[in-house]
Amino acid sequence: MLEIRDLHASVAGQPILKGLNLTVKPGEVHAIMGPNGSGKSTLANVLAGRDNYEITGGEALFEGKSLAELEPEERAQLGLFLAFQYPVEIPGVSNMEFLKAALEATRAAQGKEEWDSVTLLRKAREACKQVDLDPQFLKRGVNEGFSGGEKKRNEIMQMLLMEPKLALLDETDSGLDIDALQTVAKGVNSLRGPERGIVLVTHYQRLLDYIVPDHVHVLSGGRIIKSGGKELALELEQHGYGWLTDDQNGGNDKEDRTA
Amino acid sequence: MSGDNALNLPEDLKTRALENARQATPVEALAPLRQEALAALEGAAFPGRKTEAWKYTSLYALTDGHLAARAEGAAPEDLPRLSDYRLVLVNGRLDERHTTLPEGVSLGRRASRLEGLTTPFALYNGAALEDAVTLDVAANTDVSAPIQVLHVSAGDAPSHCNTRLEVNLAAGSRLTLIEQYLGAGPVLTNAVTAIQAADNARLTHYRLQADAGDSLHIGTLLFQQTGVSRIDSYQLMAGNRLRRNDVRAFLDKSGAELNMHGIFVARDRSHIDNQLCVEHRVPECTSNQVYRGLAGEKGRAVLNGRIHIHPGAKGTLAELSNKNLLLNPGAEIDTKPELEIYNDDVKCAHGATVGQLDALQQFYLQSRGIPLAEAKRMLSLGFVNELIMSLPDQTVADWAQPWLAAELGQRPGADEEAA
Ligand SMILES: Nc1ncnc2c1ncn2[C@@H]1O[C@H](COP(=O)(O)OP(=O)(O)OP(=O)(O)O)[C@@H](O)[C@H]1O
Ligand SMILES: [Mg+2]
Repeated sequence: MLEIRDLHASVAGQPILKGLNLTVKPGEVHAIMGPNGSGKSTLANVLAGRDNYEITGGEALFEGKSLAELEPEERAQLGLFLAFQYPVEIPGVSNMEFLKAALEATRAAQGKEEWDSVTLLRKAREACKQVDLDPQFLKRGVNEGFSGGEKKRNEIMQMLLMEPKLALLDETDSGLDIDALQTVAKGVNSLRGPERGIVLVTHYQRLLDYIVPDHVHVLSGGRIIKSGGKELALELEQHGYGWLTDDQNGGNDKEDRTA
Repeated sequence: MSGDNALNLPEDLKTRALENARQATPVEALAPLRQEALAALEGAAFPGRKTEAWKYTSLYALTDGHLAARAEGAAPEDLPRLSDYRLVLVNGRLDERHTTLPEGVSLGRRASRLEGLTTPFALYNGAALEDAVTLDVAANTDVSAPIQVLHVSAGDAPSHCNTRLEVNLAAGSRLTLIEQYLGAGPVLTNAVTAIQAADNARLTHYRLQADAGDSLHIGTLLFQQTGVSRIDSYQLMAGNRLRRNDVRAFLDKSGAELNMHGIFVARDRSHIDNQLCVEHRVPECTSNQVYRGLAGEKGRAVLNGRIHIHPGAKGTLAELSNKNLLLNPGAEIDTKPELEIYNDDVKCAHGATVGQLDALQQFYLQSRGIPLAEAKRMLSLGFVNELIMSLPDQTVADWAQPWLAAELGQRPGADEEAA
């Protein structure tokens, strides 16, 4: 469902992704780990279509369509969902109003039946419950004054309602307390299914105890420098990234010569 | 050619105004005001290009000859009803068929206020009046339901009307007043509303200006708080071909409190110029002003917020906040707080900003499948939502929400232009 080939991308003119390859098939859960500043959020934002995140080479296909040619809302309507590392506060727009507009637009585009306001409210309350968020949060401005953990739970709440085909979770575990981590993991696991793909960006092996990935990748210097199974995450936890990045420099040179 | 016209325009307007005023056939009770206003008008000058207070608003549109004719048109049949109590002025004349007033409020076909009404247009209004309405709210009367005053302008050709409302709140009275301006066609409404509040009076005031885009409006709103009173005024305004609102408030008794809240929206090619002036003339009064402005396409909006704290007015509390949002780069908003403070013992805060829609907020909404145009509309509404939520009367809020949603909606082709 997601095919990324030799992707190069710049942020505000600055090259960040430098030849990234990644394939996600339906039903798979991928974890992406890597040092700070290596390009993980850049990848997520490029895929979601953020302004100033420009694809300069290679391609990213979602459901066979080139993402570069789609507006951010079209990507979402196709079933792509990004849980933001830093969810955005929007005072004056209530969470409920926001969910209503989002679900109306995506469900209509996907040919799903429209939810009337009673159904919508019921579903939203259920989703809140699933992530341990007080339904009062539906009345507040989007993320307005939410704590770090509440913002993350609000992202997962939205994801549960939108039922995306592909969910990109950018450090959704950061800032969550231990109980919240389990609650959120449960929420994500409830979405797991043969039709869905999930990409988790995380710094901590701990999340992967709860959401067990099929594949683990290390992103460094704008490329995937190592891929493996779930045991790779344990190795990283023990040894850090140093042994990989040293290795990568050699690898880079070789590839540069062939390119 | 247009240069010549513009040069002569202030003189032309004055000549026209004086001529019209002399020919007016007012109801008898207006005679004293008319004479005084006429004398003042003779000594007044209409604004030209160099007049500082009219820096952003050109009267060039009036070269179409609006002052040459009085508007002659009929009001539409179905007028909006925001309350059981209502009166209707059509082109400045009371249409008696519609008048229903609550007990404790009496209606007079007269006008008398002159102090504080100093602009040439306000003087012209007084000098050329043929009809006017004064509402007197009896002492210690609590009028339960709002009174809606509709100022309707109607006409097919460039023309004008003078419309005038005076309201006196006697001691201990309470009133909710909804002033609504309606109209379509090339008519200039030259409006004056003057409100006086005595001790312990309490007024909730709405000024709804949603007349059609081809109409013109020049108006003065005057508050005189001669008693320890409280006024809460909510002003919702759309730009049109020419809209100029002078709001003037006198806080004349210690303990008086004035709260003004406003939303103005200038879309397409419309124009709106707000000139606010709050005069603290005695100690220990409070004024609080919160205005939010939006402009899109080639819309143009202005806010000048003057706070004048006189030498003796110790212990004054005065605040003015004006945040503005440009929906696209072609629009323009000019905002300027203007403080004149003549003593030390005051608390005065003001802030004015002009910003644009936040790109990250737009992206967040889009990333949830919400189309860009809808995302922009939601964010614009969010920008003024706080004020809408604070409207104390549900019927007005119910009117305001769809009005704003339409005002802030997408314009055809707007996105290509912005891209
Ligand atoms: N607007 C920008 N202008 C210039 N550089 C930017 C901009 N946004 C991001 N970058 C840079 O891009 C690089 C990759 O950032 P990114 O946020 O993708 O890292 P990350 O892997 O998600 O890191 P973390 O683990 O800290 O979240 C960083 O060096 C960052 O400073
Ligand atoms: Mg990141």
